[in-house]
Amino acid sequence: MSRKAEKAVNEFNQQMKPVSLWADAWKRLRRNKMALISLWVVGFYALVALTAPLFPFLDYRTQVIEHANLPPSLQPAGKLVIQKLENQKKLLEERVNDGMDSLKPDLERVEVDLQKARQEVDTNPINKKVYIFGTDNLGRDMLSKTIYGARISMMVGLIGTLTAVFVGILVGAISGYVGGWLDNLLMRFVDIMYGLPYMLIVIILMAMFRREGQSSIFILFIGIALVSWLTIARVVRGQIISLKNSEFVEAARSMGASPGRIIFRHLLPNTLGVIIVFTSLSLPSFIMNESFLSFLGMGVSAPLSSWGSLVSEGANTMELYPWQLLAPAIEMTIFLFFMNFLGDGLRDALDPQSKNRT
Amino acid sequence: MSRYIIRRFLSLIPTIFIIITLSFFLIRFAPGGPFSSEKNVPEQVLQNLMRKYHMDEPLLKQYLEYMGDVLHGDLGPSFRYRDSTVNELIGQSLPNSMLLGTIALVLATLAGIAVGIVSALKQNHWQDYTVMSIAVIGISVPLFVVGPILQLVFAMRLHVLPLSGWITGREGFKALIMPALTLSFPYFAYIARLSRASLLEILRSDYVRTARAKGLAERTVITKHVLKGGLLPVVSYLGPAFSGIITGSIVIEQVFAIPGVGRIFVQSALNRDYTLIMGEVIVYSLILVLMNFVVDIVYGFLDPRIAYN
Repeated sequence: MSRKAEKAVNEFNQQMKPVSLWADAWKRLRRNKMALISLWVVGFYALVALTAPLFPFLDYRTQVIEHANLPPSLQPAGKLVIQKLENQKKLLEERVNDGMDSLKPDLERVEVDLQKARQEVDTNPINKKVYIFGTDNLGRDMLSKTIYGARISMMVGLIGTLTAVFVGILVGAISGYVGGWLDNLLMRFVDIMYGLPYMLIVIILMAMFRREGQSSIFILFIGIALVSWLTIARVVRGQIISLKNSEFVEAARSMGASPGRIIFRHLLPNTLGVIIVFTSLSLPSFIMNESFLSFLGMGVSAPLSSWGSLVSEGANTMELYPWQLLAPAIEMTIFLFFMNFLGDGLRDALDPQSKNRT
Repeated sequence: MSRYIIRRFLSLIPTIFIIITLSFFLIRFAPGGPFSSEKNVPEQVLQNLMRKYHMDEPLLKQYLEYMGDVLHGDLGPSFRYRDSTVNELIGQSLPNSMLLGTIALVLATLAGIAVGIVSALKQNHWQDYTVMSIAVIGISVPLFVVGPILQLVFAMRLHVLPLSGWITGREGFKALIMPALTLSFPYFAYIARLSRASLLEILRSDYVRTARAKGLAERTVITKHVLKGGLLPVVSYLGPAFSGIITGSIVIEQVFAIPGVGRIFVQSALNRDYTLIMGEVIVYSLILVLMNFVVDIVYGFLDPRIAYN
């Protein structure tokens, strides 16, 4: 057979370049503007989260008590502290002039602090710091805190998704390929697990198995992974069943390929599109679930923090210092928003028939 | 049809049985007992406590006894709230949660369908774009972000709604607005997207073209032909939506300080209040499983293509 004959030909007998599923999907994805923007945004988040430890100025641990609860601003911290103290002084002076003598010691203290701040504003290097997202109640930089929170949240999302995909593929492929009673058993099990109020089970797991002072992130992974593989197992099983009697599998079997080889070399690559779509859509939902638990105080525990625990902390102080709530909340929402759009775009690109489906 | 209903109903029993069994052993095997956080308890008192709650008996016997009690509708005494039974605790809090959940579900369904219809009929107009952008935000923003931000704006800055709490009477309605809106938001968004997508598919189908071709008024085509088929996916989504609302209400009750089952659930999980956790899991899964059952049956009535055999 000559090389030329292998090339694909269209209905006018012209040679054309065969287009692979991936090239085709990439073309479709590129035409979807929203999906492309999402790809950039998600990529930016991932890059920042990955490289954060390389930047020493992103320091989420150092506590500068003088800089506690500073609002987001582009001005250096020293100036903000002076402004804050001046406002306090003004308020206290008014009160004292109105006859509230009990506040006098407070006023004196503020005046001392103000003098000290004025002296140090140019000499002390920490006063040069700029907190664009403000600071928390211990004077830690909110920007760094939210970036490190993002690292934890994204890691949980990623590991949850990977476990789900791994276990789901394994169970789905075996169930679909072997069939019979094993298939029945596995799928009944999946049905029952679906019936469980699964967040409740995860909450119980987290409450039961975590101990005070010990990082519970590992249990969190297990809890989330335990219940996350169900959907992918179902999808993969369906795909495998619809493909396992096709001619190319028959051909592989007749050449003596082992079941393992047939599953992993011939069947699974055909389900890759579905798996990718599932991954991109489930990542945000894992991140949400983790934050949900952290918000309830049952997710990651201090000194680690995730988006969820940051939002939870921020909600406690939102009346006076709303940026402590808004910084992690907005950062997280933007990520989830674009992640969802990316998932939609990938689904439209890899599975054009499902267009307009939600 | 009735045979299908009965068979479907009987299949609920093993599911509930497995849920109870699974959570029973899961909780018993966890490290730390319900009394482990009490300080300086004399050995004798601890033993008496264990005896009082039958904790000193073999696990299997405890399990069988518990199952027997549950079948009689008795969820046992609470380990932590010494003066109340689990039945009482759940009985007090469940109505509040149910009220909130039902309002949220009804709100999400009605508003979601309405918005979905408008959006599908005005496909690619500004109405469609606006609504669908809001819908994606609705899916992306976690409940516990929406809740505090609403509190910040409407209670702390504008002072038009109460911050949190559960009040009866006229003010009670106002206290319900924010929690119900927050809880329904993601499901509203999902239902809007779902109904829009399925309506668009139906609008392009052959039988709708036929209906138009024979000269029916657009109004009749929409109400008689499109909506009937187009809203089926929404019905089948109600089951998962309900389970999501149950979980979501845990956070909402925390944020808005509502005395519901979700609040006790978190407390009891942290306290290792075995019987209370079990009771809540049983009640939750009963509601969930029954809801799925009802949705299945309703779906069967609405969609004549489903064969029961």
